[in-house]
Amino acid sequence: MVSRARLSVFLGAFSLLGAAGCGANDEMPAIDYVCGTASPIESSGGAACGANDPNLPPEPTFPTDVCQTLTATRSSPTEDDPNDALDTARIQAALSACKGRAIRLTSDGPNDVFLAGHLEVNGVTLWVDAGTTLYASRNPDLYQKTGNCGALGINDSGACSDFITLSGAGPGIVGDGVIDGQGGEPLVGRDYSWWQSSYALREIDGSIGNPTLINTATGTTGLLLYRITLHNSPKFHVKITSSPADGTCTVPGEGFTVWGVTVLTPSRWTNSRGELLTPSFARNTDGIDPGANSIATCGVMACNTISTGDDHIAIKGGHWVSDVIIAHNHFGTGHGMSIGSETYGSYTSPDGVQHRGVEKVSVYDLTIDADSRPVGSEATASDFNGIRVKSDESRGGLVTNITYRDICMRDMTNAILVSTAYNPLFAGTLYPDFRMLTFQNIRHVTCMGVQRPAVTLEGFNAARHLGPVTLDNVMVDNLGPLDVAAEFSDITLGPGDVNFFPAGPGVTVTDNRVGGSTPRACVFPPLPAPDVPPDWLR
Amino acid sequence: MAINLNRPRRLPLVLLLSGLGAGACLGNAPVPNGACVSHADSIDCTTDGASAASLDLVAYSCTGTARPDDSPTYIDGVPQGLVCANQGSVASDGTQGYCCSLAITSCAYNPIAICDADTYGYQCRGADRPEALNAAIHCNQGVTEDDLINYCCSGVQRELGCVQSDSLGCSPRLMGWTCPAGNEPTAQDLGANKSHADLYSQLCPVPSPAANPNYTTFCCYTPGLVPVGGTCVQNMGVPGCQSGRFGFSCYGPDTPEMDFAPRMHCPDPGFPGVSAEGYPATLYCCDFQ
Repeated sequence: MVSRARLSVFLGAFSLLGAAGCGANDEMPAIDYVCGTASPIESSGGAACGANDPNLPPEPTFPTDVCQTLTATRSSPTEDDPNDALDTARIQAALSACKGRAIRLTSDGPNDVFLAGHLEVNGVTLWVDAGTTLYASRNPDLYQKTGNCGALGINDSGACSDFITLSGAGPGIVGDGVIDGQGGEPLVGRDYSWWQSSYALREIDGSIGNPTLINTATGTTGLLLYRITLHNSPKFHVKITSSPADGTCTVPGEGFTVWGVTVLTPSRWTNSRGELLTPSFARNTDGIDPGANSIATCGVMACNTISTGDDHIAIKGGHWVSDVIIAHNHFGTGHGMSIGSETYGSYTSPDGVQHRGVEKVSVYDLTIDADSRPVGSEATASDFNGIRVKSDESRGGLVTNITYRDICMRDMTNAILVSTAYNPLFAGTLYPDFRMLTFQNIRHVTCMGVQRPAVTLEGFNAARHLGPVTLDNVMVDNLGPLDVAAEFSDITLGPGDVNFFPAGPGVTVTDNRVGGSTPRACVFPPLPAPDVPPDWLR
Repeated sequence: MAINLNRPRRLPLVLLLSGLGAGACLGNAPVPNGACVSHADSIDCTTDGASAASLDLVAYSCTGTARPDDSPTYIDGVPQGLVCANQGSVASDGTQGYCCSLAITSCAYNPIAICDADTYGYQCRGADRPEALNAAIHCNQGVTEDDLINYCCSGVQRELGCVQSDSLGCSPRLMGWTCPAGNEPTAQDLGANKSHADLYSQLCPVPSPAANPNYTTFCCYTPGLVPVGGTCVQNMGVPGCQSGRFGFSCYGPDTPEMDFAPRMHCPDPGFPGVSAEGYPATLYCCDFQ
């Protein structure tokens, strides 16, 4: 068990373990960091997020062509009446009738709730208004695919349909409202929740077939998620399969855009029965996974806030993911900014060019803060991951032209993990082929963590090296010499400082450090977290 | 770390202790006869275009039953030994060639591992599979045993595995597979969208012939949790069990209907026989419903 941060953001300012703990290189400058948080405005300099970033397209806007507006008739997601037809039919009817336009869900005084089963958003925009929540039904029968949907502890990941499936040209989900998957609430007619059903498979690391909150069908183009808040998905929150309509990435975001989205799971400390809900209990609740079903290219994921029970973002290379910008995001609890473990993808585009795995991904201006809220007593080291690129010989392939720049992490167990033997049990002939990875202006700081951070850079074997990997101004506070593991890797250090020196079998290091670089100044904004129940100690 | 229980192949504890578990008790192993010599001239350990020297591989030739890696040790429970890829016969007298790791690794050759023919066992500790320690070797799915992982390996590249097939007309609750004849689906054959949590244990029936005689097809079932103490394991060789039906070997008094409820239905009583692993068991032929 890992004991970690307390609920409230740590406001006490004290100097860090700092340089005294960074024993890997005595010549490094002293590392100073004052624990605490800063307001979003302070950390962004006052400008709208992403406004001054020349790499990004303009921030999306809400639709101007609203086809239908539906008004809520419920004040709670109660689902006890078996004759309740829910809101599925009227929402779906509006969605189906308004292709190419938008439908808007809005509140009416105390009635601020929509409750629905599976919805198809095909070439239309679903707008959930501020103050309005669209709840996913807790009735597994509404998502049934194989007969195992809602069955406790059944290892069948295809058992349920999605809550929302996006498809077609330019589908979108926007608005300042909330979509809540109710993953921690008891299922209709059952004595357990989606998460409890999944948790029953934890011991065998099995995969429950719970609904994905928002999925995309193969062939989707120009997907948009904008400013929506997502809570409590039964499993993954968002799986993205989307590319530009003409297949060519001329403007970033033509393939898909996820901008200003908040993922907060669990969104409450307890469910309606008073049972505790923690991020580590909410298994497999990845935030946003591009490439999960098919290719995902030309994407922008900007200005999002993600705190959940699994990967914040996991780029899945089982098909092909390329040309993705991940900028100005803030992560709280979760399993990290990840690539993999599937990286074996292969895709032949209409022009006959074969593409593979994951390539041309740029991650910059990112904070990952393990101290944003407690994770739970079930937590393991994997609940405190920063940057991960992972695969193994059962599912490996090409990962190249990946850049991580201007990133701050706090209290990670794995600050940087590049592993080609993510699961040593798995056999196969799909060997990971991890090539150009650049880490620039990376800083990991320690405030409340009780475990020292680790850095892992591991190629597959002597014939299949990792690299070239460039580490430029990478400073990991409180790092001991034994906390760096490396093998079969070709690594370049510099020109900025790096406060560790990777060594191990098959490791070649080109040391271009010139010294004098300034560690990245880290500012962690306060992140959304559930309100503490009134009778709890603060 | 994620653990694959590899349930269909699970053996009763007593059998594990006498088999895989003997890695630390290698005194039971037959004593090799013959000897090995470093032999860089006639054995080519080039792998994937890289020279043996660049891969830290050393060539050996061995007479009799000797192997370069047959003297492993365990220090504080950590295996220590060479990892060697067999290269087959390199002389008319049956002398065998090997390409071995230059350095001692955290793997130990296990002469009494339960492995398929033409493969041999290693017991390793840590995240490095034998392939990471010797680029010339190929190993199958690892099986955990406390802090150690058991592998069956060979210097010969394996055949390509099975491919998931949605067009076989399997029941919606079953997963279709097309496999080279003689193979059966394994977890690593699963394709896209299988995160680290998707460690499947599948039950597969007796294979059905495919249009191409070099292949067979399966409609496999992903069961839920087996009750603690369940002893029924997959057996595709149950006499009289036709294609598409599920064969089982049960070592205890439980039945497949008990272990894989409610989907498995076994219309006929079990009968005594031998499991696929060669142990006395009660055999069943069942249907998925």
